[in-house]
Amino acid sequence: MSLLQVEHVSKHFGSLIAVNDVSMTVEAGQLRAVIGPNGAGKTTFFNLISGFLRPSSGRIIFDGEDVTALLPARRVWRGIARTFQVTEVFPELSVRQNLRIPVEVASGYRLRPWLSRSADAKVAAHVAELLEMGGLADKADRLVGELSHGDQRATEIVMALALNPRLLLLDEPTAGMGDQETYAITQLIRRLHKDGKLTIVLIEHDMRVVFHLADRITVLDQGSFLAEGTPQEIAANEAVQTAYLGQAA
Amino acid sequence: MTQLILYNVFNGLIVGAFYALMALGLSLILNLSGVINFAHGGFLAVGAYLAFALIPYLGFWGALVISPLLTALFGLVIERLLIRRLYGRDPLYSLLLTFGLAFMLEDGTRFIWGPQTLPFSIPDSLSSPLSSSFFFLTGYRLFMVLLVTAAVIALFLILSYTRLGVRIRAGTLDLETVSVLGVNVRILRSLNFGLGIYLAGLAGVLAAGMLGLQPTIGSDLIMPSFVAIIIGGLGSLPGTLVGGLLIGVASGVVTVWFPSASEAMIYVMMGLVLLVRPRGLFGEEGRF
Amino acid sequence: MKDGPQDYPKYVGAAVIWLALLSMPFWINRVGGYTQLGTEVLVMALAATALNFLLGFTGVLSFGHAAYFGLGVYGAGLTIKYLLPSTLAGMAVGVLTAVVAAAIIGLLIVHLRGIYFAMVTIAFGQVFYFIAFRWNNVTGGDDGLSNWSRQPIDFGFARLDILHSPVTFYYFVLFFFAVAVAIMAALLRSPFGRTLLAIRENERRTRFLGVPVDRHIWLSWLISCTFVGLAGTLYALLNNFADPHTLYWEQSGVFVIMAVLGGMRSFWGPLIGAAIYVVLQDYVSTMTQNWMSFIGLFFVLVVLFFPRGVLGIIRRKVVP
Repeated sequence: MSLLQVEHVSKHFGSLIAVNDVSMTVEAGQLRAVIGPNGAGKTTFFNLISGFLRPSSGRIIFDGEDVTALLPARRVWRGIARTFQVTEVFPELSVRQNLRIPVEVASGYRLRPWLSRSADAKVAAHVAELLEMGGLADKADRLVGELSHGDQRATEIVMALALNPRLLLLDEPTAGMGDQETYAITQLIRRLHKDGKLTIVLIEHDMRVVFHLADRITVLDQGSFLAEGTPQEIAANEAVQTAYLGQAA
Repeated sequence: MTQLILYNVFNGLIVGAFYALMALGLSLILNLSGVINFAHGGFLAVGAYLAFALIPYLGFWGALVISPLLTALFGLVIERLLIRRLYGRDPLYSLLLTFGLAFMLEDGTRFIWGPQTLPFSIPDSLSSPLSSSFFFLTGYRLFMVLLVTAAVIALFLILSYTRLGVRIRAGTLDLETVSVLGVNVRILRSLNFGLGIYLAGLAGVLAAGMLGLQPTIGSDLIMPSFVAIIIGGLGSLPGTLVGGLLIGVASGVVTVWFPSASEAMIYVMMGLVLLVRPRGLFGEEGRF
Repeated sequence: MKDGPQDYPKYVGAAVIWLALLSMPFWINRVGGYTQLGTEVLVMALAATALNFLLGFTGVLSFGHAAYFGLGVYGAGLTIKYLLPSTLAGMAVGVLTAVVAAAIIGLLIVHLRGIYFAMVTIAFGQVFYFIAFRWNNVTGGDDGLSNWSRQPIDFGFARLDILHSPVTFYYFVLFFFAVAVAIMAALLRSPFGRTLLAIRENERRTRFLGVPVDRHIWLSWLISCTFVGLAGTLYALLNNFADPHTLYWEQSGVFVIMAVLGGMRSFWGPLIGAAIYVVLQDYVSTMTQNWMSFIGLFFVLVVLFFPRGVLGIIRRKVVP
């Protein structure tokens, strides 16, 4: 069974139709990229999956369960984690604290007024592991607000990982980054996908990143579904080329 | 009994008109600048006392015209010197600043004019009852209702048809776009603040004629004005108007049976509205 | 979490504060104060610290905490006067009243944010003021509730005469202050407390880390109101009087200015702010009739010149 099935979702803001009857099925272990020209409705589509917005119509099925009406926190508990287009972290807390919070939430400790020594040690060990994974071990005690854009983004991604997600949603993970940082983040995502066997859906503008990472690509244009296929198929698709060129012209 | 109810409904309508006039000014400032102006009641008191001071020279009618204008001018000065510095900062700070101003204005009027209730003379032509069977319907009360109605209509006309009004409404919806379009946001906020304070001053003159003049005249009226805004829905001026009239009438009606519960009543109404419709009767979803 | 050398100044600061509080009855008279003034500082500091749990550490702008403070005041006063002449019973009822009211009102408002939340909390606070004001055959109305006093506490083996000895009462208040402050400090260092900091820093991020934000804000609000209620009961005991002005919206503003003046981002900030405010008010109100103007001016000056608060400024200087 597919991990994520998006069935005919639409989203209207007043008379504006941001997403119009889009469907998408993502298998477990897949890395799916969602692309499209500006204003294609990618971020809105993403917000519908993560629960930031509720669709005007259509259904979202995660692991066989209808999650269309679930609040964001509950979707996280089911295993859907996300990052944001503009990096969302806790700027005035240290990297370690930033990671500690999701680790504790995922361990079911979020309401605990205290932690036993063993639980505390377990949390600390998990945090250390995540710091290593994000290449942040040497910056663990610095405030996230002081870090470079790339490191903040890496922090945000490992924060999402701290939740032990079964589906990771990344909204333009390399937006606003230089080549060096883009490369590092791309490698991190690739490791998560290949070694961690994590199912990932990402929105991305940088086509080098998309074609380097994705197993399959979904293309949206002006809120509607345009095409879906392997990177090769998409590269050869005329409708896709027209959509992108049409925007350039 | 019917007459008693009618009396209280009419009374409630008048009180509600005060609330609405005051709350409309608060709402204007809140919507455009994100400042909860705690000092609004203080400005109302300033308007009332200025009228008191002017009546010997200008008469009631002159004071009614000049006092709100002077109050608005005073408001502009305060905005320029103090409040302007806090735009865009944590709303906590403007709240505390206007809170302090409220103290100073109330105590300032007390310092100048004394703590006792002062007689506020209204023209004889307005003070006599219009009809013996409806003894409560004095000319002044009727005049007040008409004046508030006129002021509200004028306000909505200004907002709908003048350049300033259209800009204020646009700025309320999307300040950034308005500033990109070349509107001077600083001046817009100042004028809007002045307009709000003008309404407070006007309410002050009218309230003094009805309730008598004392330093706490403003702080007694400010809380119901908050409730009027919340019930009507933040961001909606028509909502504020309806909210003000509604709580005025409701507390008037409750007075018939449970006079001591009339104040608490409006907060119960607020609780019910928040329970059923958290954004208020006319509030838009997603704002505030 | 482990503490490093960067935390040492914090420990030194806390040690100095506790020493000062423990020894206060021995020096306060010599610097021109009196023991009751010290007790009032403690009570107000407890209220401001409790408010700051919500304001400074959860990032929620409540401007209506006087309601729960006043419910503590009246809960304690009415119980001791009419039901049971027992100090501890009065305190229990006072705190419970505040908690129940906060729990119910909290449910109505937790999904509101920012200025909307502030306005609604201010407005709701007034309900209790009008009840106390109007129900005057029970509450004494505008005159307040008098003709009752705190009672000595009998443990069987020992008797604590908090009624006649101001110093004993000071330590009685200090005990509750210490317990309450210790609980709040421990909570802020717990996983739950970290979710509150997270909400303050970035609510959206917190929600998408699987934290039901509204529920956590409700809990924080409840904890905050509980300790404000406790402070209210102590305030009633201090004065042997329940004053309707403790329920009035002006009192809420006073709690906020204490927190801001001392430093909202520091745990001890509200204590410093409360000490400055209480001492200043005591001084000014003996000097002039127009103390309201001074307090108002004080608010304005704090906002314009000390928005970070005393401890905020010190921290800035130490850690550039």
